[in-house]
Amino acid sequence: MTRLGNIRNLDKFILALLLGFLAACGTFDTLTYFHDPQMDFAAVRTIAVMPFENLTREQMAAERVRDVFANSLLSTGAVYVIPSGEVSRGIARAGIVNPAGPSTEEIGKFAGVTKVDAVITGTVTEYGEVRAGSASANVISMSVQMIEVQAGRTVWTASATKGGISIWDRLFGAGGQPMNDVTIEAVNDVLDKLFM
Amino acid sequence: MMFLTNFSCKPISILFALLICLSGCSATNNQAISVVDDHPATEKKLLVAVLPLTNLSGTSVPLGDIRQRLITSFKKQGLDILADNVLEGFILKQRIRYVGGIDEITARDFKYETGADAVLITSVELYSDVPPPKIALTCRLVSTGNRPEILWIDGVGLAGDDSIGILQLSLIEDPQKVLEKAVRQLSTSLGEYLASKSYSMDSQREILKFWPKVFYRSPILEPDWTYNVAVVPFFNLSERRFAGEIIALNFVKQLTTQKNFSVIEPGIIRNLLLRMRIIMDDGISLADASALFSKSDADLIVAGKIFDYQDYQGTGGKPKVDFSALAIERYSREVVWTVQSHNEGDHGVFFFDWGKLNTAHTMASEMVASALETLAE
Repeated sequence: MTRLGNIRNLDKFILALLLGFLAACGTFDTLTYFHDPQMDFAAVRTIAVMPFENLTREQMAAERVRDVFANSLLSTGAVYVIPSGEVSRGIARAGIVNPAGPSTEEIGKFAGVTKVDAVITGTVTEYGEVRAGSASANVISMSVQMIEVQAGRTVWTASATKGGISIWDRLFGAGGQPMNDVTIEAVNDVLDKLFM
Repeated sequence: MMFLTNFSCKPISILFALLICLSGCSATNNQAISVVDDHPATEKKLLVAVLPLTNLSGTSVPLGDIRQRLITSFKKQGLDILADNVLEGFILKQRIRYVGGIDEITARDFKYETGADAVLITSVELYSDVPPPKIALTCRLVSTGNRPEILWIDGVGLAGDDSIGILQLSLIEDPQKVLEKAVRQLSTSLGEYLASKSYSMDSQREILKFWPKVFYRSPILEPDWTYNVAVVPFFNLSERRFAGEIIALNFVKQLTTQKNFSVIEPGIIRNLLLRMRIIMDDGISLADASALFSKSDADLIVAGKIFDYQDYQGTGGKPKVDFSALAIERYSREVVWTVQSHNEGDHGVFFFDWGKLNTAHTMASEMVASALETLAE
C-alpha cells in the first residue's frame, strides 16, 4: 500500500515538474484590453492611426510599430485606414500640438479635415533586445486606444507585451525571434481584441 | 574488430567528404548566368546617349570607369553610342544637373538636338572594393522624343563570394572582375531584350521565401486592366543615404517587367513633384496624390517608407531590407494596396551559407517582386 502510494505521488510529482517546465518554456506574453459594450464598431469605417509615442531608446520604434499596425489593420479589410501622409496633413491643418495625445477638440478638427470616424493613438513602451545573463531576446510592449470622433470618448484600448527570454533561449542561446516578427505578433494580438 | 570498425566508419567518412565538397560548391546567389556577347544587331541601330552615372551608394565610386565599360559592352550589343563631346555640349547647353532621370522637355530636346533615340540612365547603388568586392547597378533605357518611355530596365547585385566553388576556387577578390561581370550581365540582358522585346522571367525566383509579411489588396483593382503607375521616392527612415531612391528604382524595375503595369519614367514624376512643390513629410497625402493625378496620366501612385536598407563590407554580415509600400488609385482616391516586407540575407539558410544573399539589391529585388505578386494577382 505504501509502495503504491509512493508511485502515485511520484506520478503527481512528475506531472507537476512537467507542467512547471512547460510554463517556464513560454515567454511572459501579456494582453489586456477594454471593449466598450455600448459602441457599435461596425459604424467605424475610416480610421486614422496617429503617430505613436515612443518611450523606448530605439529612435524609430514608434514609427515602425505604427506602420505595422496601420498596415495590419487595413489588411483585415474591416476598416479603411488613411495613409500616413494624409494623417500628417490633417495634423498640420488641425494644428495638433502633440499628435500622440490629441485633445478632444483637436480630434474634432482633425476629423473635419480627414473625414475619419475614429482615431487610434498608441504608445510603445518597450522595443528591442533584453538580456539576462548570457541569454538575449527581443521584446515589445505597446498600448493602443481608439477614440470615436463624434463623442470624443475612448471606445477600445489594448496593451500587449510579446517576446522576451524563454527557457529555450536560456538553455540554447537561440536569441529569440526577430524584432519585426515579434512586432507583427503583438499587433495581431491587439487587433484580435478589436474584432472580437 | 579493427577491420569492422574501419568498415563502419567508411560510409561516414565518405558522407563527411561529400558534405565538405558540397559546402565548397555552395552558391550563395546561385543564379546560373549565361553571358552572351555580340548579339545580332537589330534592324535599325539605336543611337543611345549614355548619361553620366548617378552615385546612390554614398561612397566613392569610379563612375567614369564604369561608364566606359558600359559603353564598350553596349556597343557590342549593336547600339550606337552618342559621342561624348555632343553629349557634353547638350548637357552644358541645357544646364542639366540631374542625370538620375529624364523629363519630357529634356527628352524632346535630346531627340531633336542630338538625334539620340534613347538615353541610358545608370545608378550605382553599391560599390565596395573590400574583399570580397560587391557592386550593385541599375540601368534603364528611356526613349527620347515627345513621350519618353522606359524601353528596358534591369539591375544587378554581385559579390565576389556569391559562388565560391570547391575550396573557394571561384572566389573573386578583384573588384574589376566583379564589375566586368556585372556590366556583362547588364549588356546581355539588354541584348536579349532588344532581340525579343520581352523580359525573360526568372524561373528560379523564390516567391515564398520573400513573401510579404502583411499585405492588403482592394477588390476594386481589376486584374485585366493595364495601369499606368507613377512611383514616387520612398520616405527614407533608414540610416542609408538614398535608400528611398534605391527602393523606388527597384519598384520601377519590377513593375516594368509585369504585364499589367506601364511605369511612367521617374524623371517625369520628379519634375512634376518639383514643379508642384510637393514635399512629402511622412509619405504621400491624398492632396499630393490628387495634384499628381491631375498633371499626369497615372492610374496608380506607388509610395512607401523604407526602414532598413543595409549592405555590409567584407565577409561577416548579412544584408537587411525592411520597407512598406502602398498604392493610391486615381478614381477612388483610396489606398488600394499596401504591403509590409522585411528580410535578412541569411533567411532560410541553415548549412554552409547555401542560399545566402550577399547584397541588399538582390534581396530587395526578390522582396519587391514577391510584393508585386500580391498587387498583380
